[in-house]
Amino acid sequence: MNKQIRRLAVALLACYLALFVQLNVLAVGRQQELNADPRNNRQTERDFNRPRGSILAADGTVLALSVPTTRGDEFNYQREYPLGDLFGNVTGYYTFSYGSTQLERTQNDVLMGDTTEQKLRAIGGLFRGSDSTGSVVLTMRPDVQQVAADALGTREGSVVVMEPHTGAIIAMVSNPRYNPADVAVHDSKKAGQVLADLNAWPGKPLLANAYQERYMPGSAFKVITTSIAFENGATSLDRVFPNTKSWVPPQTTDPIQNYGGTVCGGTMVEVFYRSCNIPFAQLATELGPEKMVEGTKKWGIGEKIPIDLPAPAASSFGEVSDFTDQLPLLAIGGFGQGSTTMVPVHMAMIASTIANGGVMMKPHVVDATLDHDNAVLTRTTPAVWKTPILPGTADTLTTLMIGVVNQGTGRPMQLAGGIQAAAKTGTAQLNTTGPERSNAWIIGFAPAISPQFAIAVVLKGGPDDEISASTGGKLAGPIAKTVLDYLFAHPVPSGG
Amino acid sequence: MSSTPIAAARRRTELGLIVMAATITAAAYTLASLGQNAEIPPILVPFLIVLLGLLVVAHVANRVLAKGADGTILPLAALLHGIGYVIIARLSERSAGLQTTWTFVAIVAYVATLIIVQRAADLARYQWSFLAIGATLLLLPLVPGVGTTKAGARIWVSLGPINFQPGEFAKIALALFFAGYLADHRELIASGAWRVGPFHLPELRHLMPIAFAWGFAVVVMVAEKDLGSSLLFFTLFVVMMWVSTERASYLVIGLLLFSGAAYVAWRLFDHVKTRVAIWRNPWPQYEGKGYQIVQAMFAFANGGTGGTGLGLGSPNKIPVAKTDFIFAAIGEELGLIGTTAILIGFLLMIGSGLRIAVRSERPFEKLLATGLTTIVGMQAFIIIGGVTRVVPLTGIALPFVSYGGSSLLANYVLLALLVRVSDSSARHLGETPNELSPQERLQAYRRRREVARASK
Repeated sequence: MNKQIRRLAVALLACYLALFVQLNVLAVGRQQELNADPRNNRQTERDFNRPRGSILAADGTVLALSVPTTRGDEFNYQREYPLGDLFGNVTGYYTFSYGSTQLERTQNDVLMGDTTEQKLRAIGGLFRGSDSTGSVVLTMRPDVQQVAADALGTREGSVVVMEPHTGAIIAMVSNPRYNPADVAVHDSKKAGQVLADLNAWPGKPLLANAYQERYMPGSAFKVITTSIAFENGATSLDRVFPNTKSWVPPQTTDPIQNYGGTVCGGTMVEVFYRSCNIPFAQLATELGPEKMVEGTKKWGIGEKIPIDLPAPAASSFGEVSDFTDQLPLLAIGGFGQGSTTMVPVHMAMIASTIANGGVMMKPHVVDATLDHDNAVLTRTTPAVWKTPILPGTADTLTTLMIGVVNQGTGRPMQLAGGIQAAAKTGTAQLNTTGPERSNAWIIGFAPAISPQFAIAVVLKGGPDDEISASTGGKLAGPIAKTVLDYLFAHPVPSGG
Repeated sequence: MSSTPIAAARRRTELGLIVMAATITAAAYTLASLGQNAEIPPILVPFLIVLLGLLVVAHVANRVLAKGADGTILPLAALLHGIGYVIIARLSERSAGLQTTWTFVAIVAYVATLIIVQRAADLARYQWSFLAIGATLLLLPLVPGVGTTKAGARIWVSLGPINFQPGEFAKIALALFFAGYLADHRELIASGAWRVGPFHLPELRHLMPIAFAWGFAVVVMVAEKDLGSSLLFFTLFVVMMWVSTERASYLVIGLLLFSGAAYVAWRLFDHVKTRVAIWRNPWPQYEGKGYQIVQAMFAFANGGTGGTGLGLGSPNKIPVAKTDFIFAAIGEELGLIGTTAILIGFLLMIGSGLRIAVRSERPFEKLLATGLTTIVGMQAFIIIGGVTRVVPLTGIALPFVSYGGSSLLANYVLLALLVRVSDSSARHLGETPNELSPQERLQAYRRRREVARASK
């Protein structure tokens, strides 16, 4: 019988080996797949009972923090957002049942203290009983953000302010906005209801439209068309465009008109600050599909904005094949109509590029990540994204944009204290028939010589409302002026 | 009390290993409490004293009642029991209190078994009684007014304030019967009265009792929807037939019977069909019957290699984590390292049990040790395999680890029997003096007194 008993031992050993193999499959082989399953909320549950670091503004103002809850709460910590809806579209929210968004999502490891670097540094603190959570410091200033939000008021749209030479974003308002504290409540049912309401809201408050939404740019796009024309030697500052009321592009009999059907013309400088449409339609047509599309691609149009926030949108102009048999579409694209759509942050980057001698920096909101002892983990170093134009072209565009502020459509952006600004306005007409709907734009920078700040403002108009009835200069101009005036009056963050 | 160096060394080893098992348990308990509450619980000290005390009681019982027995099997049970206790305490404070009571009862049962069963061979004489006891225990849950249905299986019995699972005890009674009957009849069965092809088939009248016992057990278990126990009994029967007759044909017959029975069960019973479907792919039934197994898979994945740490996971997410799914809770908090340790614990226990079987010289003891070891080894495999999706899930307790009085009590009785068999063979091999048992000594003392009185 001993032979059989020994064989039984081998058989049982084989059975247990099968168990061991399967345990390896579950705990190691399929670990990532199983942990990534949204129904597996064990990690989230643990995280909600652990401390989590703060998100801070450039001046140290706390934008998001975790506070210990009182006994009886489902979890040990509650996420709070002291400034309410002001930074909701930057910090995002942090919920148990509905995941997290924006920086709460992308900076999760730093905030939880889960990066390798933090874990290594935490070994020393193991016996001191301190936690290893990190914090995230932004480049954004809450005072400027507040000024921009106030200037925008309740209107749908966006204000983006950035440093041209670094790409650091100082303010970025996306209207309508929401308060992440409403979503971060521990009552999952309540949070779900808030999210459902926000999703049903027509202006999509959960979408940070400053970098996740695209708007037709209208005349603000003339900056791009002009830059491509100058880079290709297709125009000069002295070139004179005839005074006309309408012009028929190739491949059609339908004439193009100027804004408001006016007669418009003059030198390159004049048509730029008066914002005539026909000269830019002619420039785009002269350049042809290849050069226009190639030029827009140099500006990063068609690529996702390289911002350090999740799910950015990409501006869009079109491909060569879209225009070859559609030259009228290319013509109206030359002044930002038709199929052209731009992301507000991208427009601020375009203004920054001109201010920065033709070099386009990567936009960023995170300045640094810090460990529990406030020692720097990572610091964002300014990085070049693209070099779409030569310094000379940048100078020429600056000259043209100064004209816009001094003599043209951008006069509302003339700054206090005689600081010279450079700008381009835009009024994009969204409807060719039916009720009037338009977007009001202004992009620019100041001072015109050694610029410190670049700005893009967009207001989205509804059918026949106040915005649609006005122009970019009249509506967006004063907002840009308010924000830039404040910045020059308060160059240093005014305390938090 | 006299002892030989071999026996003394075994007891020393046992004591050392028990201290290690108790230390590991105490450390784990402290960690689990720190993980959950960030403070060392004040009840830790009395808990440790009770735990160590009970294990020392079992150890002392071995020193007095089973001097020559294998020294590793009790500490292995203590370790598995200790880790299980920590996980139960971490899952539910109330259950931990009850489990402490069950531990006390189980150790008392262990000592009582060693006292009552002084000579393993004596048990063979009661084989028919064990068959009757086993059959009665199996039938109890089906008796109206006594049996109760929990979680779809009718395997519980309520007698006044006492609830228990008679199946846990029936398996020991049937193992005793199989061992006794097969030890007596194995040659008759093996020789085979007639041949069919390559198979020697025994005379029906020799096979009848055992076939009846087995068939009865399996049918009753199926009626109670206790698939795990049916599988366990089936394996026990096939293994004991094979080992006792030394004929591999019983393995083939067993396999054929099993395939046939499994197919019929699959065709006839919806709950079997559901189990198989969930085993093959639990994801479509996540919201329903597949929830438990998917949560177990999440638990293993979340635990990874090192586990989340005791008290730091969320094993309460798995329904019935403290009984059938305790292995998944271990996987989450102690990781692959912890689950592997449990597997090794069971493997070592199987090793000790089968070594006891090999060392025994009398067929009955050999078969009994083999049967009891198969019960522990297979039961652990069936439930661990079920939880990890190696085999379809059939609810059954993980021996020594799961929460539950019946299971703990039965397994400590089973352990005591293995220890008794081990001690018997040590005695037989002359490793320990073949002293009279206390009963025999008492009889001798009375006899001497009678003689003395008579001579006055």
